[in-house]
Amino acid sequence: MRAFALPMALRGFGRSLVAYGVVALLWIVASALIEGFGVFAHLRYIVELAAIIGLVGVGQTLAVIGGGIDLSVSAVITVAAIVLPMLSFAGDATGLGAIALTLLVAAAIGAVNGLGIGYLGLPPLIMTLAMATILQGLLVLIAGGSAVSVDNPALNWLGNTHVLGISATILLWAIVAAATLFWLHGTRAGALIYAIGTNPLTSLLSGVRVARVTLGLYVASGLCSGVAGLLLLAMNGQGYVGIGDPYLLSSIAAVVLGGTSILGGAGSYVGTIAGAVLLVTMTALITVVNASEGWRQVILGCLILGLLPLSGRDQSR
Amino acid sequence: MSGTVRRRLYWAIQWRRNEGLGALGIVLLAAAVLYAVLFPGIFGAGALNKFVQGWFPTALVAAAETIVMLTGGIDLAVGPMVSLGSVVAASTMQSPLGTAGGVLATLALGIGVGSFVGWVVAVARYPAIIVTLAMSFVIRGVALLILPRPGGFVPHGLSDLLAGNRPVTALLLVLLVLAWKLYQATPLGLGLVAAGDNAEGAYRSGVGVTASRISAYAASGMLQALAGLYVAAQTGSGDPLIGEPLTLAAIAAAVLGGVSFLGGQGTLRGALAGSLLMSILINVMFFLRLPLVAQYVVQGAIIVVTVALPRLRAAARRPV
Repeated sequence: MRAFALPMALRGFGRSLVAYGVVALLWIVASALIEGFGVFAHLRYIVELAAIIGLVGVGQTLAVIGGGIDLSVSAVITVAAIVLPMLSFAGDATGLGAIALTLLVAAAIGAVNGLGIGYLGLPPLIMTLAMATILQGLLVLIAGGSAVSVDNPALNWLGNTHVLGISATILLWAIVAAATLFWLHGTRAGALIYAIGTNPLTSLLSGVRVARVTLGLYVASGLCSGVAGLLLLAMNGQGYVGIGDPYLLSSIAAVVLGGTSILGGAGSYVGTIAGAVLLVTMTALITVVNASEGWRQVILGCLILGLLPLSGRDQSR
Repeated sequence: MSGTVRRRLYWAIQWRRNEGLGALGIVLLAAAVLYAVLFPGIFGAGALNKFVQGWFPTALVAAAETIVMLTGGIDLAVGPMVSLGSVVAASTMQSPLGTAGGVLATLALGIGVGSFVGWVVAVARYPAIIVTLAMSFVIRGVALLILPRPGGFVPHGLSDLLAGNRPVTALLLVLLVLAWKLYQATPLGLGLVAAGDNAEGAYRSGVGVTASRISAYAASGMLQALAGLYVAAQTGSGDPLIGEPLTLAAIAAAVLGGVSFLGGQGTLRGALAGSLLMSILINVMFFLRLPLVAQYVVQGAIIVVTVALPRLRAAARRPV
């Protein structure tokens, strides 16, 4: 299985190298031209911000490689950020209990997605879109329009600690990234994700439990979005409805920029990592140049369009 | 063929054509009855007109999304395009172009952007979902650049005409359906559904698949720009973010109407019925004094149920 997974991984890596190249180029040029850009603290901040996108990108990458997409990630992020204070209970000194419960909720949402997509055969676009819509409505009904503050010891630690100069946030991302890469490229389950993304029918006929694999990857997506939401909460100090909204398009953009084909069956999380950093770098640059929100949107869109050749063409004709 | 046989055949065909819409029709009827019960005043000409005016933008974007989905594609930039339409409409009417020029400019913009997207999807063959996702950023950005905040100007004459007391909107809806029927009779229109259903087969049968696809996106873009123009006339100004919720509404309406993501399946009348249902539900929830956001929960639930039901039924029917 390991030998089988390697060629696919290499193909995915090839495309993501371009993303890493662009990031390196931008960083070098920006550090030379803009004062303070290349400072370690600033670059670390960029990576911290990218961590959120990167975490959401885990789920999105898995969903896309599997041939689908997850449009509910932003809603799950917001759910995690808003629900944590509600799930906090006395006797939970470290705060980990509330975190565990919140992640359970996030995973459950992913499970519902996976059940609908895998077992009912609903198109991923519809299922996750509908899920996002329902969650958005429920969130407003539950939390109203006000921001919810949090005081969770574990989260506070996560948001503020630096280990050897590297934020706990980045470490968390590194751990999740390593686990994801191992799962995708080192295990049989990961190879199956590529299989169902390439050709679900063939996979089914070859004995792959397509429904189960699908369920698994959407649960993973929900879980990672939950982690991202908690991280966001830790970094911000408070959660509010809509906190997760920017991350839906960012996660898809990161996946595409990283060279993963939107059609499924190819690519790797390695690229998404670069894509996330690239996105944040672009945003930082646009901020420095003081460009308006309009320009930011245009540049982001053109960036994705420009890097489309990496993402793969529609083979069908 | 005798007269009776021909008549029976005709109705049999019509029945088959609309089979998929049966469930939607029943739900729509129930919702309409509920609405009438809650708001008996809806039958008044004024109230009915206002309802149609509220429904029209959603109907237009539902139609726009359907046309694209029928070719097997999708358009995630519907909302921003509507916003851009409203922004351009509100910005050009004071210029030397005048009202008529502004209208033409807005529609031309829609056709132009749509053609570009159609070209990228049909000729360069990049997946529509990513292309339109990226375009949604670009279009939103351009709208924000033209009008960072709601503003601009729409002459009262146009507002009165489109969103006033006369049933102009209802007329426009009828024209839309007629135009679609006419379009389907043309080679481009015929090729549209053929390309979505079986692109390979259509191509080999001599259908101009690429041209059909590009013209589909162009027509869709025009309808979206028209929706933007209409919203600008309704509100009297342009707003760079006003169309945002319409992307989801368009997809939801199309899905309700039986339009398939894979292309080739579904009808415009289905999508229009779907958009009508959603409009009625929003109004019903208003009268039931439900919070506005409850509509999202209902929308999402409707989508899932509508798509899941046929599959559940098929699964139940299958011999285990």
